[in-house]
Amino acid sequence: MALSDDELKAAIIEKAKKAPKPQLYIKDFYKCDPDTKPRAIKNMANLLVREGELMFWSSGSTTMYARPDRIKNEEGDEGVN
Amino acid sequence: MAKHDTPLLDELESGPWPSFVSDIKRQAEKNPDCWDILGQLELSYKEKITHWKHGGIVGVFGYGGGIVGRYSDLPKMFPGVEHFHTVRVNQPASKYYSTENLRGICDLWEKHGSGMTNMHGSTGDMVLLGCRTEALEPFFWDLTHGMGQDLGGSGSNLRTPANCLGQSRCEWSCYDTEETCHHLTMHYQDEIHRPAFPYKFKFKFSGCPNDCVAAIARSDVAVIGTWRDDIRIDQAAVKEYVAGNFASNGGSHADGDWGAFDIQKEVIDLCPTECMWMEGGELKIDNAECTRCMHCINVLPRALRPGAQQGASICVGAKAPILDGAQFATLIVPFMEISADNEFENLIDFIETIWDWWMEVGKNRERVGETMQRVGLPTFIKVMGIEPIPQHVREPRSNPYVFWQDEEVPGGFERDVQEFRKKHAA
Ligand code: HEM
Ligand code: HEM
Ligand code: SF4
Ligand code: SF4
Repeated sequence: MALSDDELKAAIIEKAKKAPKPQLYIKDFYKCDPDTKPRAIKNMANLLVREGELMFWSSGSTTMYARPDRIKNEEGDEGVN
Repeated sequence: MAKHDTPLLDELESGPWPSFVSDIKRQAEKNPDCWDILGQLELSYKEKITHWKHGGIVGVFGYGGGIVGRYSDLPKMFPGVEHFHTVRVNQPASKYYSTENLRGICDLWEKHGSGMTNMHGSTGDMVLLGCRTEALEPFFWDLTHGMGQDLGGSGSNLRTPANCLGQSRCEWSCYDTEETCHHLTMHYQDEIHRPAFPYKFKFKFSGCPNDCVAAIARSDVAVIGTWRDDIRIDQAAVKEYVAGNFASNGGSHADGDWGAFDIQKEVIDLCPTECMWMEGGELKIDNAECTRCMHCINVLPRALRPGAQQGASICVGAKAPILDGAQFATLIVPFMEISADNEFENLIDFIETIWDWWMEVGKNRERVGETMQRVGLPTFIKVMGIEPIPQHVREPRSNPYVFWQDEEVPGGFERDVQEFRKKHAA
């Protein structure tokens, strides 16, 4: 049984709060609910960005997701466009 | 007046070719921030290390792509490039502009950014180089509301699709590359503007195997026009070429003295599959052997044309050399009809089958071509629901093993791996 939208939202937020690193790949959220299709999880993560619960963090080539309060500055990682 | 001494960069102005150093100096006379680009670059040449930091949170509201954040790690020394974000603007299909539009873009960028551009980035977008974070929203407002244009893709998004100019100017185009590119760009707006995948994903559209957008080298899905019937031959025109009355290659090499045109040497002997010959004054082609390389058509454009049954070959998995070196795309579908009549349904189904699989199986920062390589082509074509065909084979067998699935063997077979592993540990 796939999680309901609200349960999925809560699980994604929880994961973003607890993960050891503040930035998460979209794939890290797949594990929140193995019964929901990756594209549906992506859509939910992007909705959470619009709602301000998550933010995008991009190196230029790869985009990650983070809780805004866990990101302090604008330091980059390795990577290319 | 130059703000920094740049002896190393100045050397790059001494050659006979155009120099980006001269360009930046010229722009710096207008926008003094640009002196700091030169200053920082000179320092990097001296220290042999970059002073750009990158990554972060810049963007415009509602979008998760289109802007690539860049900062100087020496903002005190080079305040003009403290923030130096790159903006990607979705180019019009085939890069047709009016000069009015180009002036508009340039004026907008002088107003909000450094004024420096890179036309075009290798993704295809117009690339506007260098602005501060607080300039982004006002720029975006003017771009969308004033010019009716939009950002392109970056990060883990679908990247701005690109196409050759196709049927708008080129008689060889085997499908409407512009309509296809435009339709898919509009269809996938969400994927272009917001991250959708484990990593970047690109598709590009060329109208024929000349592949003027280099789709096969640069895109995860390359849609390359082709034909499935015979090359159309006008034998009277062949005779004119042989007699030297028509310039070969449309006259493109007419400035050199290459001697008289020799169809044997310049066409037939260069056919990669050796499938052409002259017979009774006529040019013959064994079309079953033709690999659609375009060479003969390029040399004899008035005599030869692509066949009339037109569509595209779909190749998957090209990438640039970050990990494991560069890789061309692999042929997956030799012929697909590409038509606006069904809103490109076959192509869209194909793309989404890849996405559903790659999003699940692909690792973080793994291009689909790398995922394919990891699982092997037989597994990939099975995922795509495609029957193996000779065109999938690059060379005669180098792998002596054949693996059968139970449904492929009469009577099938049952195998309980767990039961087996009890006796034979893996
Ligand atoms: C006409 C007779 C034979 C043919 C056509 C034949 C063919 C082959 C082929 C195609 C391979 C695979 C090579 C590869 O991995 O690329 C192979 C491997 C092998 N063959 Fe034969 N073979 C023959 C006779 C024999 C006999 C008589 C023996 C032993 C008494 C033998 C022992 C082996 C072994 C041990 C291997 C594995 C070698 C390895 O993996 O390094 N073969 N053979
Ligand atoms: C149905 C029976 C058998 C099958 C299907 C079979 C299959 C294979 C295969 C697929 C390999 C290559 C494995 C690899 O390269 O990783 C292999 C290797 C080998 N097999 Fe068998 N085999 C069978 C029976 C036997 C028997 C009965 C013997 C000897 C009494 C034998 C001796 C060998 C040897 C010496 C090798 C080479 C091992 C090596 O190169 O490291 N096989 N066999
Ligand atoms: S790829 Fe082919 S169809 Fe497109 S512009 Fe080049 S030659 Fe013409
Ligand atoms: S297109 Fe290429 S392979 Fe085909 S006949 Fe012409 S030269 Fe030969």
